[in-house]
Amino acid sequence: MRRTGFLYDPRFLLHETGEDHPECPDRLRVIIAAMEQSGLMEQLVPIKAEKAKQRWIEAVHHIRYMLRFEETCAFGMPSLDHDENRICYDTYDVAILAVGGILKAVDAVMAGEVDNAFCAVRPPGHHAESDRAMGFCYLNNVAIAARYLQENWKIQRIGIIDFDVHHGNGTQHIFEQDPTVFYYSIHEHPSFAYPGTGRDFDIGIGEGEGFTKNSPVLPGRGDEEYRKRLTEELLPAMSAFQPQFLLLSAGFDAHRQDLMSGVNLSTEGYDYVSRLLIDLGAQLCGGRLVSILEGGYQLDILPLLVTNHIKYLAGLR
Amino acid sequence: MFVFNQMSKTLIHGEQAMTVGEARDLMREKRVNHLPITDAAGKLVGIVSDRDMRSALPSDLLNADSSYREEAAAVLHKPVSSIMTRNPVCVYPFNTFQDVLLLMQRHRVGALPVVDENGFLRGVVSGGDMLNAFIEVMGIDQPGTLLCILAPNQQGQIKKIVDIISDEGISTGSILVARGLQKDKKAFFPYLLTNNVRQVKKKLMEHGFEMLEPVQWYLDQLPKKD
Repeated sequence: MRRTGFLYDPRFLLHETGEDHPECPDRLRVIIAAMEQSGLMEQLVPIKAEKAKQRWIEAVHHIRYMLRFEETCAFGMPSLDHDENRICYDTYDVAILAVGGILKAVDAVMAGEVDNAFCAVRPPGHHAESDRAMGFCYLNNVAIAARYLQENWKIQRIGIIDFDVHHGNGTQHIFEQDPTVFYYSIHEHPSFAYPGTGRDFDIGIGEGEGFTKNSPVLPGRGDEEYRKRLTEELLPAMSAFQPQFLLLSAGFDAHRQDLMSGVNLSTEGYDYVSRLLIDLGAQLCGGRLVSILEGGYQLDILPLLVTNHIKYLAGLR
Repeated sequence: MFVFNQMSKTLIHGEQAMTVGEARDLMREKRVNHLPITDAAGKLVGIVSDRDMRSALPSDLLNADSSYREEAAAVLHKPVSSIMTRNPVCVYPFNTFQDVLLLMQRHRVGALPVVDENGFLRGVVSGGDMLNAFIEVMGIDQPGTLLCILAPNQQGQIKKIVDIISDEGISTGSILVARGLQKDKKAFFPYLLTNNVRQVKKKLMEHGFEMLEPVQWYLDQLPKKD
């Protein structure tokens, strides 16, 4: 059994996206309900959210974008940069609160108060570019966490592993020229899935060449393909990079029941992914790992997938 | 979709009076594979391709050889008109995209000079320009999701699909249609400029459309072994 931190704040529900939007507050409601019912919640160390300091956010996002984001919410506009990025008055504050909570989870791991942590946050982050909202994402949570680890905790090499079914275009772009952050993503092939980036020939730029790796998966493929790509592509790359901390962009939308993608990962397939990543963290960086919720939209399967993932983090499975 | 939308308008061209050497240096400097050649007034008289240039010059592998310099020098001082293709296939700015594709295919050329009605050079349209146009037409320079839909081979299917997409308020980057790949069926590939495809997929299925697994579908189309 490990001590696993758990970040959640009811204020994450205040980011309202309107009727029929897949990235809805119910995503977190069903997760929390399942965790309370099963008694899993009591076995975790709660982490309280607080607003992130502007300087950490600005390590990733342009100040002009932040001002635009804040104003667009304050003026009551319905969306930011694209119709699908729905916002409400509270979205800006919730996004900053989510980032702040994640940074506290990072602190807790670094201070040894917990072994690892899961962050049940909204809005998600991996599509957010430094100056643009995209794909329901406004602030790139995982990217800000990586910069925070480097600047506040002087951790040199960060590994980011993104298993959301969509490619984390924002995270890739933010770090593609940077050899100190290795970004690995496994996702549905960009010819079929949003956002249309993350091809296997994207391997980083300039000094960052060789520090980005993508494993695009064709629609219809599932467990077998994930097993193959993760063992043959992720493991050697991360072992060579030797990260000192792992950040996970944890998306649960690759499940076969989730209509947001054509990839058919099973519940057991997700178990395999969780186990493999936690073992990798244990082997490479003393288990120092923070997992951050990205996508996952099928409300009847999401709670099971998330609780299974957390159980692996906590060493309960 | 017209040539004038897509052609390179910065005119990089040589003049008839140029030597082969001058034309080669210009092509290197401007990084172009095709150099249209005009007369002093600006009328198109020919085009030099990278390949024309390569076949005119002696092999680089002879570089160390003393005879190389002499031979190369002799070629480089010749007029460019001696190696250019005269009266090349060319297009007008108001030719269409499709014209260009078919002309490139028929004549097996990588670029076409663009001239006005009086024969004056206006630009060049290259294979690279066509690639850019294709990327734009397919909408894949913008984030989106490709749907793969199988529909009966009847009229009006595309309207139904487009209606469902529009009712969801989703913008469309492109729709590709594959005919004759499966008997009595057509496959539609709308590229939607959104991440939010859950609802639209549900609606399409409710209307009786089959959502394809493209890989499985492709494998099913391959000739079966007996």
